[in-house]
Amino acid sequence: MKRRTRLTTALAAATLVGLIWAGFGASPRDGQDTSFGALRPLPAPALKIGRPEALSSGRHFSRWTVVRHATVAHVRPSAASPAVADLAVWTAERTRNLLTVLRSRTGTDGKVWVEARPPVLPNGSLGWVRRDSLGPYQVVDTHLVVDRARLRATLYQAGRRVFTAPIGIGAAAWPTPAGEFAVRSELTRYASSFYGPVAFGTTARSAVLTDWPGGGVVGIHGTNEPYLIPGRVSHGCIRMRNRDILRLSRQMPVGTPVTIR
Amino acid sequence: MTDAGFEAFLDAADRDGALAETRARAETASRRRLLGMAAAGAGALALTRASGARAARLAASDVDILNYALVLEYLQATFYTEAERSGALTGKTAQAARVVGATERAHVKAFLQLLGSQAVKRPTFNFEGTTEQQRPFLKTAVALEDLAVAAYKGQAPKLRSNAVLAAAVGIHSVEARHAAWMRQLFGITPAVNAFDKPASRKSVGRLVASTHFISATPRMKRRNKPGFTG
Repeated sequence: MKRRTRLTTALAAATLVGLIWAGFGASPRDGQDTSFGALRPLPAPALKIGRPEALSSGRHFSRWTVVRHATVAHVRPSAASPAVADLAVWTAERTRNLLTVLRSRTGTDGKVWVEARPPVLPNGSLGWVRRDSLGPYQVVDTHLVVDRARLRATLYQAGRRVFTAPIGIGAAAWPTPAGEFAVRSELTRYASSFYGPVAFGTTARSAVLTDWPGGGVVGIHGTNEPYLIPGRVSHGCIRMRNRDILRLSRQMPVGTPVTIR
Repeated sequence: MTDAGFEAFLDAADRDGALAETRARAETASRRRLLGMAAAGAGALALTRASGARAARLAASDVDILNYALVLEYLQATFYTEAERSGALTGKTAQAARVVGATERAHVKAFLQLLGSQAVKRPTFNFEGTTEQQRPFLKTAVALEDLAVAAYKGQAPKLRSNAVLAAAVGIHSVEARHAAWMRQLFGITPAVNAFDKPASRKSVGRLVASTHFISATPRMKRRNKPGFTG
């Protein structure tokens, strides 16, 4: 009985499919072939849209921006709170004044405020700046670690070591400051063998050479005295052999965080 | 890239010369590449040509339209990426930003693969805090998605290649879904009209310019003598 029912159902289904097929495929109207089979196949799309691109964890990313309008960094996200530092648009190197972005929140005025590291003494100062005084956010996945005990600098990209080299650091009277900083400028093609072929400006400041022109900015640069490296030989800057600074300049973008320990 | 329509879009969108700067950089890089290729010989030339081979098969007007679409995709992808990285969004809005951002980044990647060396470079964007507060984020997302839907619709009839049209239609409907999603989250009716109007490049350019989101790239490299402590 069951078998007979199944057979009847199958026959009915086959008849229905046949009728539908005949209905679609037959009797052209107004001289046109309306059957699906006669339509042109759809072209393959020119773009191959892949799977959605999820962001990576963000563990190795850091954000930076520049000062767009001269402004003041405050202790809290409020213009009424004490000032930490005046922030200029341009640096002494005549590049844009860079700030590492730590986080943002809405202030009591309803505006967005950004917590950043202003390049001022004492090193390690933090301050809140109105977002509308700042430029575009930029992202880097590099990180330079300067080890003063081992006299070595190591660059990481997305957490992977991509560069390491021996360095010269500040002598006892002019120590290289420890802390969290960033690369704020890249200078090239100047006529000074003392700094080698490339010099990076950082947001670190010498705590002793405060009357140095430009404010005692600690740089990372080449040298005309490679035989002094590794050693404690500088006025606070981080020196590298010229071949090393050239190699570093190909891998380290401006905005890279710098940890000096 | 010499099409008058694309020029009109760039002129309208480029209030502070940022896009012109981006294009100039791209052209300089292109010239450098050419010089490099001349020095390196025919082998390098063949390699570089291969990277742009797929785009070379397209009509110049289609490449022009694809680059126009790419600028809008860059704008959207950067907006959602920055919003996700800011960590300021919460709940369903954060989830939507994550999902839509992943899709927009896939669009950018696909355009770059198709256009190869003919792709316009990514401009610098400054969203001025709209990615860091819930309501301004949603308001901007609605504007950007509605704009993208209208922009794709405006260009679709102008495409010469059916294969590019098929791809554009595929993206257009996705952008329309994004627009409806963001509208719902913002608390406005997702679908209002029986018929949506297309937007011309000039009007899209004017709208993009009015946001001031396209920004000049900060100057961080110089040829100065350092004044560091040494």
